[in-house]
Amino acid sequence: MEIKCFHCGLAVPAGSHYQTKVLNKPQHFCCPGCLAVAESIVENGLEDYYHYRSEFAEKASENDEDLLEKLSVFDDDLILSEFVGKNNSTHEIQLTISGINCAACGWLIEKQLSKLKGIMQVAVNVSARRATVSWDSDLLQLSAILKHIENIGYHAKPFQPEQHEASYKQENQAFLKKLGLAGLMTMQVMMLNIGVFFDLFGHIDEQTKQYFNWVSLLLTTPVLLYSASGFYSGALRALKAKSVNMDVPVSLALSLTYLSSVLATFQNTGQTYFESLSMFVFLLLISRYLEHGARYKASQLSANMLEYMPTMANLVENKQVHPVLAKSLKLEQLVLVKAGDLVPIDGTIVEGQGQLDEALLTGEFELVSKTKGEKVYAGTVNQLGTLTIKVTSTLKHSVLNQINQLQSQALANKPKIAGIADRFSQYFVAVVLLTSAITYLVWHQISPEEALWHMIAVLIATCPCALGLATPSALSCAVAHLNGKGILLKRADALEQISNVDWVAFDKTGTLTEGKFSLSQCVNNIDKRDEHWLQVAACLEQYSEHPIAKAFEDIQCPYPVVNFSTVIGKGIQGTINNIQYKLGSELYMEQEIPKPLQICNVFLQANNRVLCGFALADKIRPSTTAILETFKDKKVTLISGDAEPMVYAIAKQLHIPNWLSKHTPEQKLGVIKKAQKDGYTVLMVGDGINDAPVLAQANVSVTLGVSSDLAKSSADVVLLDNSLDKINVVFNIAKRCKNKIKQNIGWAIGYNILVLPLAVSGVLTPWMAVIGMSLSSLIVVINSIRLLK
Amino acid sequence: MSIIYVLIPIAILLVCIAVFVFFWAVKSNQFDDLERHGSSILFDDDLPKHKQNSTPPTPEKHE
Repeated sequence: MEIKCFHCGLAVPAGSHYQTKVLNKPQHFCCPGCLAVAESIVENGLEDYYHYRSEFAEKASENDEDLLEKLSVFDDDLILSEFVGKNNSTHEIQLTISGINCAACGWLIEKQLSKLKGIMQVAVNVSARRATVSWDSDLLQLSAILKHIENIGYHAKPFQPEQHEASYKQENQAFLKKLGLAGLMTMQVMMLNIGVFFDLFGHIDEQTKQYFNWVSLLLTTPVLLYSASGFYSGALRALKAKSVNMDVPVSLALSLTYLSSVLATFQNTGQTYFESLSMFVFLLLISRYLEHGARYKASQLSANMLEYMPTMANLVENKQVHPVLAKSLKLEQLVLVKAGDLVPIDGTIVEGQGQLDEALLTGEFELVSKTKGEKVYAGTVNQLGTLTIKVTSTLKHSVLNQINQLQSQALANKPKIAGIADRFSQYFVAVVLLTSAITYLVWHQISPEEALWHMIAVLIATCPCALGLATPSALSCAVAHLNGKGILLKRADALEQISNVDWVAFDKTGTLTEGKFSLSQCVNNIDKRDEHWLQVAACLEQYSEHPIAKAFEDIQCPYPVVNFSTVIGKGIQGTINNIQYKLGSELYMEQEIPKPLQICNVFLQANNRVLCGFALADKIRPSTTAILETFKDKKVTLISGDAEPMVYAIAKQLHIPNWLSKHTPEQKLGVIKKAQKDGYTVLMVGDGINDAPVLAQANVSVTLGVSSDLAKSSADVVLLDNSLDKINVVFNIAKRCKNKIKQNIGWAIGYNILVLPLAVSGVLTPWMAVIGMSLSSLIVVINSIRLLK
Repeated sequence: MSIIYVLIPIAILLVCIAVFVFFWAVKSNQFDDLERHGSSILFDDDLPKHKQNSTPPTPEKHE
């Protein structure tokens, strides 16, 4: 039987022996990372976590020795001031924590942190995957807190909530208050009136009835004035814009019923409907609250994905280097960029040479060599060499910021498609208002004192409550379903649009392909085993930062390397067992490359002989072909910033007829806009910063979990586990969801048409209408819940 | 039946208190995380001491 890792639930590779004692039993682990996390949990006496968790934990990453150093950036006062709330020596910060997947995680983190000296308060919010931590800065540094969370296998990042999130939160709380008040009051008023309705106490005298009416009036008034206030303002807004929405008949029914009930109470004649009123408000608020809650959660989760990391720059002044915030840099200042650093600002190189990862601009991961006099751009990464650059434009005018602006413009221009329910409700409301007016007029002729009640019954019976619930309930169930499958849906209405998609655009590198080098072939020029040369290459590459080195990561390296050095733009060299090896591109070799090796792009040389060649290529994702297969009936286009031959090769291999190469973010945007103008509904799948504007513009956009933050912030759907075939799951759910919405709307309308004659003819009294309406809403909700399965 | 003239105002008073408490709870973010606190009661703060090297329970500062 396959053994599963006790910590993360993944299979334990054969032959590994990572074991420790948890909950009094020896347990197996898949990797040293998971083992270390489990040991740390046991050591701290937090084993209960394993007892009560409902999900496996995330696979822990191997212990990163540079971690503390990386985290120490967060101790810098300049950075701290950007996102930490201070009160004397008490600091407070919000962290987003990835890896939380059940309630036990929240407990574990709180317990782990509260053991630290200097921590004042920890509150973990499991559903939002966040923690609020306050600590005493004299006793503790932020990096220590983050390190502590890393120890038990979670990754914490400081972040700043998006601006609109604060207003979402406020609205959510306001909804809860309104809902709670309406609920409590409804219970009271119901209690009083059920007795009166069904004459439970035998004969109730007039005086008691009168008393009950006054009490009901007292209890209903706050519901009408406070809980229902959102409906009035919604109705007013719609009327001001010279249109009607669902709030209009709701407000009308509410105010008419209330006024007439008040009148009845004061004059001590006629029927009051306070209980129907408050229950009506309560039920309507439930549906609004559900809808709002789903949006709020989506916005919280998507904000978590945006890592907040202010860019720092090493400013050179008077031959001294000191860190400053990149946005404070001015023109003509000198900045030092070390190997592995993000270039903080646009500038020209005045000293040194380096190899830059310009994926930002082109989407390509292959490095570009640059030397003195050439321009470098903010957001690109200097992989090799040390550069001194002169600032040529401030951060506000940098290329990175221009892309950013392009993205927000595109997001604002995104074609808005009104949901099915929205379109429907316009007509529906008009019909309802008309019918109730006619009912009133007709009944006015027959018996004037009953006319008002019949009209109100019509308004309540046809209340679009179920109709209002039809879409949000289905959408929020679909979103929850997708969430469980590792698909984050940021904009629920994307589901309504995705089934109309008929034009699909893919980015190349990082989306269709894995966006990193991997070894596709090893051509041996000598009679030794391939493995030997692979091991030699791996030993050399382990000291290199170049993306090529990653291709050799999985190969064991048994040999010690001495005298290692790097030649920028060419390759690396080192001595193993007294033989000096050179590993690098064709330019780096001193001999001519033998014919069979010419398909390779990296070569190994020693003793004046080319020993072996390695063909490295960007591997196509395993899920790519499957997803392209399902898009056969749609127009598929490959849009890349890469050079023509590369794009052509991939397009040919994957049989994509339409492909475009060398496209800048602006040009990509133009292609999408044109397709939309031609009447297509566009789906864009991309991952890079250069894709962000396009993702924002497309009707529906999909990005991967490994994508850049900017791409994630503009995409509608994020596939957290990076497998493209999950797009199919989204399509399927979207289809089911659309069916559910149609069923729901069908039911809601059908029910209303059914009861309309009853209400018009006066058979239905307002309280019956309310009960019928709630039953109809309940059926809609239950139907939607079936989407969860 | 005249007792209801006393009981109902008392009930109203209690409801007002309930509304007030509910508003306070919402305002102090107690409804922010509805997933987790349902199971909070399951967790023991201290484990039974079946391990020698388990750290002694430290005083908790919590919420």
